Amino acid sequence: DLLQWPQISKCRSPEMETFSCYWTAGNFYNLTAPRIVQLLYKKSNEEDWKECPDYITSGQNSCYFNASYTSVWTPYCVQLASKNEVYDKKCFSVDEIVLPDPPVHLNWTLLNTSQTGIHGDIQVRWDPPPTADVRKGWITLEYELQYKEVNETKWKELKPRLSTMVPLYSLKTARDYEIRIRSRQRTSEKFGEFSEILYVSFSQIGIGCDHCTEEVEFPWFLVVVFGVCGLAVTVISIMLSKQPRLKMLIFPPVPVPKIKGIDPDLLKKGKLDEVNSILACHDNYKTQLYNDDLWVEFIELDIEDPDEKNRASDTDRLLSEDHLKSHGCLGVKDDDSGRASCCEPDIPETDFSASDTCDATSDSDQFKKATEKEEDLLCLDRQDNDESLPSLANTDPQRRHRNTQSENSHPWAPFADSIESPRPSVHAQISNQNSLTSTDFYAQVSDITPAGRVVLSPGQKSRLGRAQHEGCTEQNFTVDNTYFCEADVKKCIAVTSHEENEPHVQEQSYKEDGYFTTESLTTTVANFGASTAEPPSSEMPVADYTSIHIVHSPQGLVLNATALPVPDKEFNVSCGYVSTDQLNKIMP
Amino acid sequence: GLLLVVLLVSHMLLTKEGVTSLPICPNGSGNCQLSLEELFDRAVKLSHYIHFLSSEMFNEFDERYAQGRGFIAKAVNSCHTASLTTPEDKEQAQQIHHEDLLNLILGVLRSWNDPLIHLASEVQRIKEAPETILWKAVEIEEQNKRLLEGMEKIVGRVHSGEVGNDIYTPWDGLPSLQLDDEDSRLFAFYNLLHCLRRDSHKIDNYLKVLKCRLIHDNNC
Repeated sequence: DLLQWPQISKCRSPEMETFSCYWTAGNFYNLTAPRIVQLLYKKSNEEDWKECPDYITSGQNSCYFNASYTSVWTPYCVQLASKNEVYDKKCFSVDEIVLPDPPVHLNWTLLNTSQTGIHGDIQVRWDPPPTADVRKGWITLEYELQYKEVNETKWKELKPRLSTMVPLYSLKTARDYEIRIRSRQRTSEKFGEFSEILYVSFSQIGIGCDHCTEEVEFPWFLVVVFGVCGLAVTVISIMLSKQPRLKMLIFPPVPVPKIKGIDPDLLKKGKLDEVNSILACHDNYKTQLYNDDLWVEFIELDIEDPDEKNRASDTDRLLSEDHLKSHGCLGVKDDDSGRASCCEPDIPETDFSASDTCDATSDSDQFKKATEKEEDLLCLDRQDNDESLPSLANTDPQRRHRNTQSENSHPWAPFADSIESPRPSVHAQISNQNSLTSTDFYAQVSDITPAGRVVLSPGQKSRLGRAQHEGCTEQNFTVDNTYFCEADVKKCIAVTSHEENEPHVQEQSYKEDGYFTTESLTTTVANFGASTAEPPSSEMPVADYTSIHIVHSPQGLVLNATALPVPDKEFNVSCGYVSTDQLNKIMP
Repeated sequence: GLLLVVLLVSHMLLTKEGVTSLPICPNGSGNCQLSLEELFDRAVKLSHYIHFLSSEMFNEFDERYAQGRGFIAKAVNSCHTASLTTPEDKEQAQQIHHEDLLNLILGVLRSWNDPLIHLASEVQRIKEAPETILWKAVEIEEQNKRLLEGMEKIVGRVHSGEVGNDIYTPWDGLPSLQLDDEDSRLFAFYNLLHCLRRDSHKIDNYLKVLKCRLIHDNNC
């Protein structure tokens, strides 16, 4: 057994007028002679300890201080002592130890019942503890009510309140309830004891609904069904509504991959020239393809001619010396810099002027360097002089390499970047592909007109000998772009092919802005093929160009990979450009 | 004219934060007069709020700084307002004349004006004082001012004759709040907060007694 000293367990004042202190006696005084435990107290302003005035009223092991001994806001100290020893001591003031008695006279009355008689509201009333003088305002109490069904274990609590009545709503008339209340001084934290339990039984007053055992549960099923229906209706109405804002708010558009400056719809359905201009204008595109190719010279076009779009055809443009530098072929100035300012992203450039504007705004320093020579790749007719050759020559080996490996990877290269892309490179590749069989032909795209037409330029050889052939210069070519139209090319080829029958035939068959048709190319190739007997020097013995198989759709211009007579494919009058796949077909 | 101004001012005072009742007299209204009941209601609300804040502040301070220092054992502290003879039990409170009681209340409130100002400023120098204590100190000081002004209005209404002596106890505890020794300084704060809690409880009780006596005729 542990030895326990006498201890003061608590001191309490129920009404702030009297107070009592209680202690535990401990278990040792039986062992020795009975010791008499005393409670001594002292007010703060006194010197002597006095003994407890009343050991009886509050029960055993207690001390009761009546009103005459109680001063509310005065500090007290009490101590538990016997003759020689002090067992315990406590100091407090009466206002700190107020714990009211429980409320009395609990009762309840029925307020009303529900229509079905299953639920009822009651009002519970009680009186404050009789000891607390609330009427004179000496003490202010607040009450906390707790209730539960008879067979439940957990009490439900209401918030403490000052009033002595409270309604309880929606009690089940079929069940019995228990209610209890306790009180505390308003600014204290501790509650007094609970009152006696009040039993609420509806059957006693005759409104109990014993047979109303069915519990009307919350109609979850109905709620869910209606909720889903409502939501579905809302969603459908939003989707169908014409209000774009609302629609955007509820169903924000999912961002789709989008290349800045390129409108996918336009690619599908738009005019070639528009698309072409977009692609041409799209700086990123070119940059991606050729960012490794520092040696690739991009021609920077100065497009300043506002009349460009008024020109009759690209042919004229290409041929005319006036347009040498300005607004050139595509009128697109290319440079390596990311061209954020390049046109409106979603507005296709349909004419040169727009492109010009676009180009004008872009930096062109890089390309200016690259194109010191102002080699207008696009307008080969003009530039087709020896200037271009050195650059081409320089790039030959690399181009060759590129050609072998990258042809397929840049299907659009020739076209998309035809504006300034290494047409010469392509050309050179074509011309330098020793490794390629004679069946590999490439058409060098010299230009892409804003309308989206590809202008195939003469091969390198043809360049060399360009000066010679001036055929096909007419403006018959309806295409105003770099795309080849069969008819036009035919004419040219036909004209040229007759003239020469050598490896250079191609160059001659190509004008500066040569247009090719399948047949014409074929012819050319055939001619060329015939002349491949010549040992290839540094250049390809094979034809420089492949026949063009122009497909119907404006998706692309197919270059036929073989020099053999190409099946007569239809030409797309609109002169579509070569698509990736088609270009891939060309290459072996 | 003067009475009107007094009423308007008292209305403005008593409807500040801490008093949640709706204003009966909107500013500028000419015929408005706050009833004594309304004045008492507001005064009781203010005093209850002040006591609530003091109680909480004391508890927080006790928890934070006083544990293990044995401050409670030195509970025999004397507050500077001990010299004011205030009723110590219900009987005394019932026997005292309401005008005297009102004057006493005013005296206690005035005596706390100064200490509260210094408490608000000095408590900030306590090392790592919690924000809640700082805020409460400032709030109590403000509300105490308002209650004082409200009480003066009530006294003006209730007093039949001239206003009694200006009851007031000066406070000289500022140096103890600025002691270098941390233990002594904290004990000084502990004492002050303990006294504040007690006195605010007294004021709250007296006002409720007066309200029940004067307004509800001892039948609250």
